[in-house]
Amino acid sequence: MKPPFFARALLATATTRSAYDCVSGDLHEEYIQRVAARGIGEADRWYWSQALGSVAPLLIAPDATASTGSRLKSMLVASVVLVSMLVAGALANGLLDMAFRGTFAPLWIHFTASWLIVGIAGFVLASLCRDRSARQAFVGASCFVGVIALPSLTGFSSPMLPLAWLLLVGVIPALTAGASVGHALRRS
Amino acid sequence: MSKGQFLGEFEHTVLLALIRLGEGAYGAAIRAEIEVRTDRSTAIGAVHATLERLERKGLVASWLGAPTAERGGKAKRHFRVEPAGRDALKLARRTLERLHEGLSFDETFA
Repeated sequence: MKPPFFARALLATATTRSAYDCVSGDLHEEYIQRVAARGIGEADRWYWSQALGSVAPLLIAPDATASTGSRLKSMLVASVVLVSMLVAGALANGLLDMAFRGTFAPLWIHFTASWLIVGIAGFVLASLCRDRSARQAFVGASCFVGVIALPSLTGFSSPMLPLAWLLLVGVIPALTAGASVGHALRRS
Repeated sequence: MSKGQFLGEFEHTVLLALIRLGEGAYGAAIRAEIEVRTDRSTAIGAVHATLERLERKGLVASWLGAPTAERGGKAKRHFRVEPAGRDALKLARRTLERLHEGLSFDETFA
């Protein structure tokens, strides 16, 4: 009997390997007891609530085990992944418009392509950056770019602004999903 | 007493739960103790992040146990309160007692 895969994967995105083992082991122990006492549905809901409630405190906590060198390296990797993601997004959306021969591609195609690229960036980040400080750097830089830089750079007019925000809000689950799959594969 | 030995509210709660459970307590037991004693729902991640912070401050120590099947093959991290942790708890208690001294809640909040 295993707890929900994506909830475990979500936990993996916020923790270092050793912290993940302790946290997921504690949750696993109680999950099994809850399945026996209250059924799998309630146990799954409990596990999800614990995983969701644990992400922020675990991600915010500084990684005391990481050396300065490994932090710098991870931050560099995170920055390269972030910049590559932005460039790839711009290129992909430009190519999509070209593919539609002069007219603009439908918005849903642009959105899907952008989220897919963000998901891939999350996957790459999870595979390359193994300590928490790198993820913190990436999340911080992404928030900065997303909340401050992108709306002004893309110059959305006011009728388009809700759509721009929809695009940006969708970045969070896309990034988390990509990173979760990357962590889950690495730790399975 | 250095600034690092003053306790935040949740640090205080976690340390007290750890003292109640005794040496060798671990994350799940501490979380359960906090829920039972405070009637407050607590995420396991918050407990572990706090224990990690307390360990960095030198207030608790930890060691890894052996992996077990009921934990999905994962090892258990055990904790114990260090003498500095006990000192920090005493200080927190004295501070609160001094703040409460002479206050009557019935009159103050009437």
